[in-house]
Amino acid sequence: MTMTSTRIAVALAGATALAAGAATAGSAAPRSGSAGPIKIGISLSLSGDFSDSGKAAKHGYELWKNVVNAHGGVLGRKVQLIIKDDTSSPTQASTNYQNFITKDKVDLVFGPFSTLLSAPSAAVANRYGYAFIEPAGGGPAVFQEKLHNVFFTQPAPVLQSADVFAKFLLSLPKAQRPKTAAYPSLDDPFSSPIADRVRTLLEKAGVKTVYKTIYPSETTDMTPIMQKIASKHPDAVIGGTQSNDAFAQVKAMIQLKFSPKFLFLTNGPNDPAEFPSKVGAKNVNGIFSTGDWFPEERSPGNAAFVKAYVKAYGGSAGTVDPTAAEAYAAGQVVEDVAKKIHSIDNKKIIATLHTGNWPTVEGVLRWNSIGEPQGSDLLVEWVNGKLSPVFPKNVALATALTPKPGWGG
Amino acid sequence: MHNVVQAIILGVLIGGVYALMASGLTLVFGIMKVINVAQGALVILAAYLSYTLFSHLHVDPFLSILIVTPAMFVLGVAVQLVFVRSLRGRDASELSLLVTWALALGIEGALSAVFQTTYRSTLPSYTYRSWDIFGYQVGLVRVLGFAASALLLGLLSLLLTRTRFGRAVRATVQNPTAATLLGVDSNRVQTLSFGIGVSMAAAAGAVYGVIYPFNPGSHYDLISRLLSIVVLGGLGSIGGAVAAALTMGVVESVVAVEISPTWAAFSFFIVLIAFLLVRPQGIFGLRSSFTPPGS
Repeated sequence: MTMTSTRIAVALAGATALAAGAATAGSAAPRSGSAGPIKIGISLSLSGDFSDSGKAAKHGYELWKNVVNAHGGVLGRKVQLIIKDDTSSPTQASTNYQNFITKDKVDLVFGPFSTLLSAPSAAVANRYGYAFIEPAGGGPAVFQEKLHNVFFTQPAPVLQSADVFAKFLLSLPKAQRPKTAAYPSLDDPFSSPIADRVRTLLEKAGVKTVYKTIYPSETTDMTPIMQKIASKHPDAVIGGTQSNDAFAQVKAMIQLKFSPKFLFLTNGPNDPAEFPSKVGAKNVNGIFSTGDWFPEERSPGNAAFVKAYVKAYGGSAGTVDPTAAEAYAAGQVVEDVAKKIHSIDNKKIIATLHTGNWPTVEGVLRWNSIGEPQGSDLLVEWVNGKLSPVFPKNVALATALTPKPGWGG
Repeated sequence: MHNVVQAIILGVLIGGVYALMASGLTLVFGIMKVINVAQGALVILAAYLSYTLFSHLHVDPFLSILIVTPAMFVLGVAVQLVFVRSLRGRDASELSLLVTWALALGIEGALSAVFQTTYRSTLPSYTYRSWDIFGYQVGLVRVLGFAASALLLGLLSLLLTRTRFGRAVRATVQNPTAATLLGVDSNRVQTLSFGIGVSMAAAAGAVYGVIYPFNPGSHYDLISRLLSIVVLGGLGSIGGAVAAALTMGVVESVVAVEISPTWAAFSFFIVLIAFLLVRPQGIFGLRSSFTPPGS
């Protein structure tokens, strides 16, 4: 090949690539107004570290799809979910959303599980002008990008989710409040910043911090950390946790025979199905956690959701994973906004959701300009072997049990 | 001081279980110069077997060692016959790394397909029981785990020092050519030793499942620890593996308590590197016994 023909070939190849790129970009916009089903792309962690929650979210999304389709769909069109596994990897989640929008040409997208995957995915959706209604990415990494297409379908941003525990402690008569506290937290954007916020609130109110640590996610043995905490005799242990490390913390405390007066873990104890089996049913009483949703909550459509969930997936109201409710709420929001604007145009959806209140199973939601919900989470506690909301008082279904009884009590 | 002593107790107890896992790895390396990087995956496979026996048939996890260990011995023998024995020639050591890594990934994939990736724990009724000894809390399952490991390591030591088979094994470790010339059936020694190495992983796996939650991906963390232990102990030395495992348990535990859990896992590697700078052959390794593959 001569030099000239090589140049021509390169130029042609370049032109073809550009044309292909332009065609892809041009066709990325969804075909709104067409008569076929409304296609919604969702990347979920069906394998890997977040697979439990990923599957729970899938249940919630699919349940919403089935319910809405049974009632004639959205704007008279059936809903079709295109769900792809992201193996709990942020890179794969971003790729999945890129493909949903450019290849599958979906009309809408819903969020994946957790902040780690939602933050990069929201940026992809934003690039193409898609609304990013997401049930599980409530950590600071999602909101600090200040994207206007994000709508987090829980009552409060994750960072503020445990503020309710600080408020509860400070609502107690002074003599009953803890004087000292320890904060063992997982190195995770969904965990340690929450406990840090509670620490700041409690320190301001005079609760002395006797120990704080952030442990890496590969820490399997919590005993040394709990042993150190036990030696400091704190009144309260407040852990920023996910599920496994929470179970391991409780297990280690039981083995070390260390039972603080107050034990609050951001995640883990709020899983009514798993927690008693992982730490022993006799050991759960008096342990606090936080929740964005509760089976008995009197939020819009919640009773029907719980009934449909149990019918579809078995178990009881107590075994419904909150992640499923969060995902279901994302569907409710789309259903409502489409009804209101008679369209599923992403630009209009984004503009409309920034105003007004949106009733969902997660409560009535409203967002600021960067998608942070403006409500408050629930404080839940194990009382008589049952997980119940105990604070704020207007949503409480049980009286808070303080101080925590000893292990086995 | 109380915290340090408590941390040392915890470290020794858990170090014993790691010693059992590492003993199989170092035994296999000593005899056939094969680094079985599937050892971690085999531990996790055994943890799942024990978990299944416990959750479906209510077999106590410590008693399940009696079932899991022979079953995994058979598996180990089969793996050696099918995958490892056929590797011959100068690249056998390098190739064995690939083959056993493929085995590890295969086990991980199969476990993910059957059990999903949810973390599991074998939780017998006595999981939370602990003793208060002079103010130190000692968890029952950790003591049982340590005792089971010590017993099995003792039996392995007896097998290697008091039996004809053990003599053949030690002869093969010291000088494979001379051992063969003197009538040792090296194929048989290699196959049975591989089986024993895997059965050590099996017993440790049953114990591991009671102490820690595990999922199919847990083997990555395990194998990196086990390789560090056998390198520190001296490749091929069971005594070295035990000493190194106990060192790891104690260093990690004390650092987690006294400094920070963030530094716990890393601190062992600092000890490893520092030690190897002074004594490259490891604690009990002989400088001359290790011939780099291909040299």
